[in-house]
Amino acid sequence: MKIGIPRSLLYYYYYPFWQTLFKELGMELILSEANSGDLLNQGAKEAVPEICVPMKVYVGQVLNLLEKGVELIYIPRFVSIRKGITFCPKFLGLPDMLMNSLSGLDGKILTHEIRSRTDDISAYRNYALFRELFQVSKSKLSRALKAARRDWLEFRKLQQEGYKTEKLLQGEKEKRAEGSLKIGVLAYVYNLYDRYINMDFLERLEEKGVKLVSFEMLDEDLINKFIAKLRKPFFWEFTNKLMAAGHYFINSAEIDGIIHLTAFACGPDAILGPFLDLEAQGKNKPFMTLRIDEQTGESHFLTRIEAFVDLLSLKKRSDQT
Amino acid sequence: MRVSFPYMGATIIYGKLLELLGHEVIMPPRPTRKTIELGVKYSPEFACFPFKVLLGTYLECLDKGVDLFVTTGGQGPCRAGFYGELHKKILENLGYEVDFIIFDPPWRGFEKFYKQILTLKKDNSWPEVLRVIHTVYQMCKSLDKIEKTITTIRAYAGQEWAGLNKSWQDILRAYSRIETARDVARVEKEALEEIKKYNLQLAPVEKRIRIGIVGEIYVVMEASINGNIEEILNSFGAEVERSLYLSTYIDETIFPWIGRKEKEKLCQKARGYINLNIGGHARLSVGQIVDFKDRGFDGVIHLKPFACLPELISESMLEKLSADLDLPILSLSIDEQTAEANLLTRLDAFVDFIKYRKANCEERMSLSG
Repeated sequence: MKIGIPRSLLYYYYYPFWQTLFKELGMELILSEANSGDLLNQGAKEAVPEICVPMKVYVGQVLNLLEKGVELIYIPRFVSIRKGITFCPKFLGLPDMLMNSLSGLDGKILTHEIRSRTDDISAYRNYALFRELFQVSKSKLSRALKAARRDWLEFRKLQQEGYKTEKLLQGEKEKRAEGSLKIGVLAYVYNLYDRYINMDFLERLEEKGVKLVSFEMLDEDLINKFIAKLRKPFFWEFTNKLMAAGHYFINSAEIDGIIHLTAFACGPDAILGPFLDLEAQGKNKPFMTLRIDEQTGESHFLTRIEAFVDLLSLKKRSDQT
Repeated sequence: MRVSFPYMGATIIYGKLLELLGHEVIMPPRPTRKTIELGVKYSPEFACFPFKVLLGTYLECLDKGVDLFVTTGGQGPCRAGFYGELHKKILENLGYEVDFIIFDPPWRGFEKFYKQILTLKKDNSWPEVLRVIHTVYQMCKSLDKIEKTITTIRAYAGQEWAGLNKSWQDILRAYSRIETARDVARVEKEALEEIKKYNLQLAPVEKRIRIGIVGEIYVVMEASINGNIEEILNSFGAEVERSLYLSTYIDETIFPWIGRKEKEKLCQKARGYINLNIGGHARLSVGQIVDFKDRGFDGVIHLKPFACLPELISESMLEKLSADLDLPILSLSIDEQTAEANLLTRLDAFVDFIKYRKANCEERMSLSG
């Protein structure tokens, strides 16, 4: 059976898991094409105009998979991966939104709820429906999940050791180069690793001799401990992770500055931003918000990145003397 | 200590509750252009519109010397659950010294919840507190009933339009003087008599235009923010009913055992569209659209603040809902840039469309009959 996976949203966090899982179950995996102007435009045309750009990207990716003639499109519904914390409403309603707004999807969506206590989403009960759907034995499904878990943990470990996520997802291993400056990036994986939507943000900074750090490269314990201590954590899983990473960046002497890379009309970020911005101001840590959408012009984006990097270099030099 | 609260819908209810408990209440001013500008200036750009208006309201209240705001938190995943925390942070950053009581569901920390209740209880005895809550709850129910009556018959007010609106203001003033549950019954009776005076009749069934309003609670309930949408629709000759009244909200959140049945019914109606609580009222909004159709309404208006997280999901299925139910639905996004003329034109066109559709439908039926 051909199963399509949209190359967007949590693809950038869980793809190694899904890849192994479906392969072990004997399915053929089809990835949608890398995001492009055409795909995004198609998505933007079908989606509600006001919705954030990652959702438009996702719609474009789903349409692409339909064109490719897959039998099922895997759209899991992430409900919670931490006790008491859930996801942005758009994640919760993702399959509903697609099913009720795109035509041609009837019977083609493979969806199930993911509820877990940790980022490890391999608990059997989440996947029980696969048994009947794919006609596999319980033990085969358990084994597949175990293998998927192993590969995903390996991926997470390599991320934390400094291997480039964008390469790991393609099955390659390449370490992120050291640089003269270190910038902490606050961004969701689907904005940070989608080269089209962020206009090669990663490469551009690397060219300038900047080493980037983002939440998935940090020690997981550090993030989890911080979230556990919050009096009132945010309701949204990855926003909490960014909050923890942001707090760490602000207070780490190693980090020269912080860039908050956020999508136009991202609701959780609108709440997260001010908390971190104010904290960074108090600690005198340079903090810049970069906003991306389907219309972002390239030149202003570049100018701002350049100016920020220049500022950090100057500040670093004057701090040293 | 001077106490105030957010401005949403029937503010006299919250005011009454605090007043009867013996607090010094400063009534928040009705949001104006100035409130909005003030809020927009100090809010994060992409905070939702209600957040900005509330911040504006708080800033205006602070000028009147308020030192405590009472508001609600929540458990998401809608952003509103975080308003209080962020408002507080922004106000502190602006140099204001102000306290917040942010009510979160008790199971998110019972001790804190209890302490907050004690602060509001002051030195009243528990039976007295219960009496006050009972009075205010009755008042709220009654007021919502009257409001529903007004937004129904005002569609036929014609010459009596100004008079009826004035009576409505008088009725509100009478409600604000209520002290006991017995007063509620009396004031309600007087209010109904006052309305009866105008002798307004509903149109015959085939001529009645009934429009339901669903969506995000703040923009649905707050007339000063949604451009008085109910009154505008009334002026075009349409009866209006909202999905949310303050008493519905109270039944839902404060006395969930009362609101449970209604909520379950709506969730049932939303089945197949949204099967999970995704925050805010998105799931209920969809249920209510189906419910309005079942009750024979002629059209539905879906309101949300710009980029509202949960309501964007419900908006994405409106086209399908409209086709499935054969029901005209108009979705409007409200924010600081909403222009009155735009709103008027769109509502006018919508009501015209419904009237035309209804007349046509009748013609078809009489031809076939």
